[in-house]
Amino acid sequence: MSFWESFISYLLQGWVATLEILAISIPLSILLGLSLAVARVYGNWLISLIAGGFVALLRGLPLVVTLLIVFFALPKLGIYFSPFWAAVIAFIMCSGAYQSEYVRGAIRSIDVGQSLAAQALGMTKIQEVIYIILPQAFRRALPGITNEIIYLILYSSLAYLVGVQELFSIAKHFNSLQFRPIEIFSTTALIYAFMATIATLFFRKLENKLKIPGLETI
Amino acid sequence: MSDDIVLKVEDLHKNYGNVTVLKGVSFEVRRGETKIICGPSGSGKSTLLRCLNLITRPDKGRIWLEREEITNRNININKVRQKIGFVFQEFNLFNHLTALRNVSVGLEVVKKMNKDEARKIALEMLKKVGLEEHAHKYPAELSGGQKQRVAIARALAMNPAIIFYDEPTSALDPQLIGEVLEVMKALAREKVTSIVVTHEMGFALSVGDEMLFMYDGKIIERGIPQEVIQNPRCEEARRFFQRINELYVGKRR
Ligand SMILES: Nc1ncnc2c1ncn2[C@@H]1O[C@H](COP(=O)(O)OP(=O)(O)OP(=O)(O)O)[C@@H](O)[C@H]1O
Ligand SMILES: [Mg+2]
Repeated sequence: MSFWESFISYLLQGWVATLEILAISIPLSILLGLSLAVARVYGNWLISLIAGGFVALLRGLPLVVTLLIVFFALPKLGIYFSPFWAAVIAFIMCSGAYQSEYVRGAIRSIDVGQSLAAQALGMTKIQEVIYIILPQAFRRALPGITNEIIYLILYSSLAYLVGVQELFSIAKHFNSLQFRPIEIFSTTALIYAFMATIATLFFRKLENKLKIPGLETI
Repeated sequence: MSDDIVLKVEDLHKNYGNVTVLKGVSFEVRRGETKIICGPSGSGKSTLLRCLNLITRPDKGRIWLEREEITNRNININKVRQKIGFVFQEFNLFNHLTALRNVSVGLEVVKKMNKDEARKIALEMLKKVGLEEHAHKYPAELSGGQKQRVAIARALAMNPAIIFYDEPTSALDPQLIGEVLEVMKALAREKVTSIVVTHEMGFALSVGDEMLFMYDGKIIERGIPQEVIQNPRCEEARRFFQRINELYVGKRR
């Protein structure tokens, strides 16, 4: 087998693993971001404190440290994850924490009149948040969320640290066997750039699809 | 309390910190009645309406809505609010929903009506305020007067026992006030029960059944609008209506 043939077939396996990580962590990080923001804004003091503390902690730790804690420290407490799931969980927590800041800001930016009108119709707080506040806040937070997703795509490569056979780790491994860094790493870089571009285009399309006159993003 | 009384308010008090904003307000609204409230800025009109639909809790006093005491602690606030339409000075239409969805969302979410039925009622209500052709537009695509008419349709759709209007035309350009007042007048003539906080004396005179003049947290004068406006007994009301009159004449010139 030529260098390129074996390289590409290896790399594709790694790419699939990376896509698996992303397919799980992107939607769940968005969900976590929304939940944390709602908990902070609408939760009672305890819930709000817990959510706020979680966000402050996750934003205060380098992602590498979070990842190593999940993989190496939690087992000491009896909580075990496979490398794959340790990476996914660390990415979800980190990205969710950052995303929640955008969502929280967006919720706070919504005029209090929206809430008054919802209450006046007889909506419960939960109905108000689901049907009135979040649809508007999500649209406003979307550009920020997109940014975080792009970061998530790029830093998914950190999963190599706990031994996940993903795109970057395969490239690194292959390079140690073949030592052709220019071909190997530039191809890898192209794939990351490709994923980031696709994500950017996708979220831009989503933004346009959700666009409502007078509800411009901030 | 007779069936004829939709809303009864007894000795309502409200403090913000150590400022007393409502100092014992009592009145009744009969079915089909249009009650006008006016008074200078800061006299407590908005606070009164907010207490009446329990957006703020009164500190003292009792309120009955259709024989049910809603100041009772065990009451389901959301159920109460379904029966009270509220039209805000600033419209407060839901920015992410079309005119139609603004009107139907309460029916779907709160009244659990199915989508088609809610849509049908919403269209009917928009027709009633003359906006069926704008049903698909978002709030940002509507003029102020159109927004306020959608807000009225939204309140009306819930089939409330009473509608509160808090200065519904104060945020509008003068040339847009008329279309909103026309809709409100038509509803008043259909005997939709309402409380209207407004300084539009023409409206008060043409459809108001009773006028309450508020001053410093109290109702200090009440009667049929014509008498209160033209022959107020107290000095505060006289001064107030004189100023309104000057502004009104000034605006028309
Ligand atoms: N949430 C609040 N906290 C503290 N003070 C308040 C609050 N809401 C209203 N007030 C005060 O209560 C008083 C009455 O206010 P309110 O808005 O009821 O008056 P209003 O008659 O509606 O006046 P306007 O004609 O300007 O709308 C004012 O002095 C106001 O500053
Ligand atoms: Mg007011």
